[in-house]
Amino acid sequence: MRSVLCYGDSNTHGQIPGRGPLERYGPGERWPGILRSQLGSDWYVIEEGLSGRTTVHDDPIEGAHKNGRTYLRPCLQSHATLDLVIIMLGTNDLKIRFNKPPSEVAMGIGCLVYDIKELAPGPGGSTPEIMIVAPPPMQDDVKEWKSIFAGAPEKSRLLALEFEVLADSLELHFFDAGSVVSCSEADGFHIDAEAHRLLGTALARAVDAIGWSRST
Amino acid sequence: MRFAPPNPLRIADRASGLNALSVRSYNERLVLSLLLQNEGISRMEIGEKTGLSAQTASVIVRSLEQEGLVSQGEAQRGRVGPPTIPLSLNPEGAYAVGVGFSRRRIDIALIDFIGTVRFHTQLPADEANPFPQSSELFGAIRQAMTSLPVEVRSRVAGIGLAVPDDVDTMAATRNGSSTSLKALQGEIEEQNKLPVFVQNDITAAAGGESMFGVAKPLNDYLFFYLGARLQSRLILNHQIYKGNSSASFDHGLMRLESELAMRRRPSEIIWSSSPEWPDLGEAYSAWLGECSDRLKASISALTQFVEFRTVVLSSYAPRKIAEALCDDIGREFPGIEALPARVTISPKAVGAASLPFSSRFMIQ
Repeated sequence: MRSVLCYGDSNTHGQIPGRGPLERYGPGERWPGILRSQLGSDWYVIEEGLSGRTTVHDDPIEGAHKNGRTYLRPCLQSHATLDLVIIMLGTNDLKIRFNKPPSEVAMGIGCLVYDIKELAPGPGGSTPEIMIVAPPPMQDDVKEWKSIFAGAPEKSRLLALEFEVLADSLELHFFDAGSVVSCSEADGFHIDAEAHRLLGTALARAVDAIGWSRST
Repeated sequence: MRFAPPNPLRIADRASGLNALSVRSYNERLVLSLLLQNEGISRMEIGEKTGLSAQTASVIVRSLEQEGLVSQGEAQRGRVGPPTIPLSLNPEGAYAVGVGFSRRRIDIALIDFIGTVRFHTQLPADEANPFPQSSELFGAIRQAMTSLPVEVRSRVAGIGLAVPDDVDTMAATRNGSSTSLKALQGEIEEQNKLPVFVQNDITAAAGGESMFGVAKPLNDYLFFYLGARLQSRLILNHQIYKGNSSASFDHGLMRLESELAMRRRPSEIIWSSSPEWPDLGEAYSAWLGECSDRLKASISALTQFVEFRTVVLSSYAPRKIAEALCDDIGREFPGIEALPARVTISPKAVGAASLPFSSRFMIQ
């Protein structure tokens, strides 16, 4: 059986758009769950979605544990052996408190890739396949998050290109979530159940397209 | 840890589109060549055949997909094993124009990325001036281009000219100019702002068949082209060899023409691209027998020196002629498979049109 780690933020956690931080879609509804049902019994799908997770920043307000880099190593080692790591992060880096341009967010993703390669949690101590997923662009209206995400919607539309440049440069699998889903109007940056279904289905196809030998 | 911003080169390449004559990487050519040979292989198979890692293959395929050169099919779910996603060349990804020069006619064809003829027309040729800088020829090339919708015309990769060896020297002795081909090439390049490639016509026809036809999977084969004359090429390990002697066999359609003339029968039909000929009677059967004997003699002579299992017979003439000759060869040599070529609409022009593709997209 192969293992895939889905490493993300609230949109991997399955947070329901426009609701409180504790309200979450069910295991079969969120995209890792869709991925699980689509890939079938050959795959073990591991969900690691934390609301507020950044690529490489300690969050001065929400806490140091939102730093995607410090948690990644223990997480990879806990779940090794991994055949594939899917990373969908970046939206939280656009909070005004971090003051980062889109290119810098991509570099944050680059750091995570560097750590995965260094730790080599793949089969036999190899580097697993790595897929970078650019999060869907935010809506212009992010409701009560307007001040926290000041300037972020515009930057979020540039993430896909920056991530793809990074994926080309580091030779990574890449998928642009914005090509299949949009963020919900309810809060402007979370995805709804239908979007989870579409994204999980599209990612299952992208995982298949990597090509896997029959022996596991 | 040292960290530098990622190299934006690939994206920059892409934005400039197909017509920027940027050097395509060896790995991209490798993947395109593989896809030409094996329609519908998966990224994993690409990795297995090339030794590229899954991630490298992923980057290359992604970039080729964005350029529109490659497209993904539906997932194939077998009874065992993980599903695979087949990749193919996108027929609409690139186009090329080919011009085939012969004694009697000039063929102009436009083909797509998988070798399908999208446009074809013919002009009569003048033996005294085989490479005319005529408005008819330039017009026909333009017509081939404009047969495409405006928005895809930038996807024409180039123009190829397939040229018989002897025509130029023939013309040179007659009108004292051996530069007429060079001049024509320059003029076509200038008018269309596209690279123009030149190759011997029979070699080009063999190349076209290797790229798009029945010879796709073959490393070694003997190629015959039945035109005005019967000419051959030997293909060994994908290399096309041309015999040293200029002797080409006088058993081609010119011979049929004289057989017909002897019997005072009209012969225009054999120089047309008509898919069917009327009954040409005794002249036809006499010629076909001779032609078949000539083919068998060549094959028999060559088998003494080189091992090959396949003969490919190419011609613009009706397919049933190639089929009849192939049947004859098959009966005579049980160990050899004789195949009529797949390219039947002007093999020379299609071969010429394959030149820009091999130069710009494929490994040599």
